[in-house]
Amino acid sequence: MKRILLNLLLVLVLLPLAAVAGDPVINGRWRLDTTRSTALDGWSTADVVIAADGSKIGFHYDMTWHTTKVAVSQSVDTAQPVAIPNFFRIDQRHMAVYAQPKSAAAVTATWIDGGRTLRLEAQVPLETSQGNTTMRVYQEFRLQEGNAELVLIELHNTRSRPLVYHFTKVAEATAKK
Amino acid sequence: MKRISLFLALILSALPGLRAAEAAPATPARAAYVMNFDGDWKIAGGLPEKALLIGLQGLANRSAPRLYIVHAEGFPWEITGPLEDFYARKHGVKFTELKTTEEALGHFAQYAKGYVVWDPTVMPTMNVAYTIAGLEDAVVVTPALIPLAERHGLKPIDDLRGRYAGQTDAQIYTDAKRRYWARCSHDQLILLGGQRGDIRIPAIADWGVRQKMFFHDLSANPIHADELALEKQFFSELNPGGTIFGWHVYGKDTEEQHTTLISTYGLKMEGLQSLPNLSFNCQFGFTPGFKFTNHHHVAPDTKLVAEPKVYLSFVQSDGIGIGVWTKPGRGRLPLSWGAIMGWVHFSPAALEYFHESATPNDYFIGGLSGPSYMYPNHIPANRFGLLMKEADDLMKVLDERIFEIMDNSAADGNLGNADLTKETVDRYYAAFPDVAGFINGYGPARTRDLRDGRPLISYDYYIDPRRPREEVTADLNELIALNSKRPYFLLVHVRESNDVNSVVEVVNRLTGPVEVVPLDVFMKLAASKQTYTTRYQDPTDPKHFKGY
Repeated sequence: MKRILLNLLLVLVLLPLAAVAGDPVINGRWRLDTTRSTALDGWSTADVVIAADGSKIGFHYDMTWHTTKVAVSQSVDTAQPVAIPNFFRIDQRHMAVYAQPKSAAAVTATWIDGGRTLRLEAQVPLETSQGNTTMRVYQEFRLQEGNAELVLIELHNTRSRPLVYHFTKVAEATAKK
Repeated sequence: MKRISLFLALILSALPGLRAAEAAPATPARAAYVMNFDGDWKIAGGLPEKALLIGLQGLANRSAPRLYIVHAEGFPWEITGPLEDFYARKHGVKFTELKTTEEALGHFAQYAKGYVVWDPTVMPTMNVAYTIAGLEDAVVVTPALIPLAERHGLKPIDDLRGRYAGQTDAQIYTDAKRRYWARCSHDQLILLGGQRGDIRIPAIADWGVRQKMFFHDLSANPIHADELALEKQFFSELNPGGTIFGWHVYGKDTEEQHTTLISTYGLKMEGLQSLPNLSFNCQFGFTPGFKFTNHHHVAPDTKLVAEPKVYLSFVQSDGIGIGVWTKPGRGRLPLSWGAIMGWVHFSPAALEYFHESATPNDYFIGGLSGPSYMYPNHIPANRFGLLMKEADDLMKVLDERIFEIMDNSAADGNLGNADLTKETVDRYYAAFPDVAGFINGYGPARTRDLRDGRPLISYDYYIDPRRPREEVTADLNELIALNSKRPYFLLVHVRESNDVNSVVEVVNRLTGPVEVVPLDVFMKLAASKQTYTTRYQDPTDPKHFKGY
């Protein structure tokens, strides 16, 4: 009886964790479909490579602007908030909004919708012409039916218009094409 | 008042362009010819005949303005048609159209002593041919055009076919330098760059031929070490204060690299390689009695006090005459224009045309960074004062009170680090004691200052002409939200190919207590309450190109 109760307790404890684990199909390289997305400004193309491993999720962005290539990596953790210096988002680079030097964004990550959506919430320190300020950024990476498409919806506390980016999955072998 | 008049008289007498204007008779009617070009600049298509005609224009216009060219719709400089009308209306020029190259040679072959053959399979030979054309009074022809030239009595002067086969650009121009440079102008140089591939637009070649300049398209990219070294030789051998006309070669190097290099030698850059008709334009002064009168909105000694609102001001700083000026919508909102100050010397009528057609909402400012396009962080200290004195004098002639600065030496196109060092800012404040303020950037930048009631404000936003207007609206509203102190001074750069009507629509959709003001009012308001930080280029800021 004790063993049954113990097993039941274990199931009850682990069930929430299992329920919120991310769907592994989110792993891989996703390429921005610029024709269906919010217009880029200051970027020509965008890829994001997602690698979930336990509670840690790595993001690697490969961005281009004409012949310039920019690569940025950062990780979040669903088990605990993390501090990320120069938190990367697909920003509008023709705005005088810069990463605040020597500061880091506080970022939390949560799997929701049965692990089909990863939610990030970040307090991003920025520098503008009036000095230092903070932008609250809310992102959802939503896996779409069929798992071939990923939609990133981003909200800012300072912007009433959402940013919507449609990505399609590409094999690493074809990534350079 | 007398002292002011005397001062102005001194400035006027110091400017060759204005001396020409003063000496000009009361515009007696004169005859000239005009050609209307189509838009075919392909090497295998329309280029050879156009190259011949543009060179011929330089020769024909040596001693008088005889040939003018109107370019097709879509050509980078959209003012050639309106300016033709201006010459007819204000200078009494009676234009007769020439429809063919044959006709043009029929009228103007008399100004050439022969022809020089260039090889379309070795494109630098076109530049070498133009150099020879200026020195020897030759027209430039491809092999296919030799019969045409000979029909008009022209004899061969030189033939570049085979001379440079298999050689690199550096080898070709090294040889050309050895042969011709000593006889060329050492005050001016032509950088005949621009398009690569199957197109060239050498519209500025008339000016180079007329002035006997050396033509080249060398690279300033450090990966082309031989070309860079050769170009440095040319720059070091130019006379102090010399000018580079034309533009860099797309794909070979960048605008940032070339302008940095030119500035490092204290030289001036006048773009573009497609700038047409200078050999014609340089021969007209201002019309009698004309005086530049800018549409100032506030007197120099007036003090304004900013209210708790968002003040926007718009600036179009790309070469005036490209884009927006001739498009519908101009005048619907206050817009400042970076007039090309150097045109006082070699294209006065164009400046007069802009001033004549300006609406009360069009406001002219000085720049860019100096008497022409330069990157001030790289101008040698011993050249800075002289160059800025020249710029300051031109601003007084043009009745301008605000100076625009741009240094993209560390930027990546219209992105990235466009900031000024504190040392550079110090120099500007010292060199322009009478300006109401400075603006900085092309894309956004973050150099800001306020000294003696004179602000230096950088662009907070750059309107990409391709960006959907609803996103531009959202961007501006977001900047307004992020910069929450009031007043907020939001300076916006309007890229030249934007449509002013669409900018008006954007303004109408902004939220908050927004007011669009002319730039001179914006500066006075920004001087009254500094809600912006004082900042200069930080040595730790990323640099896309680290210089030479």
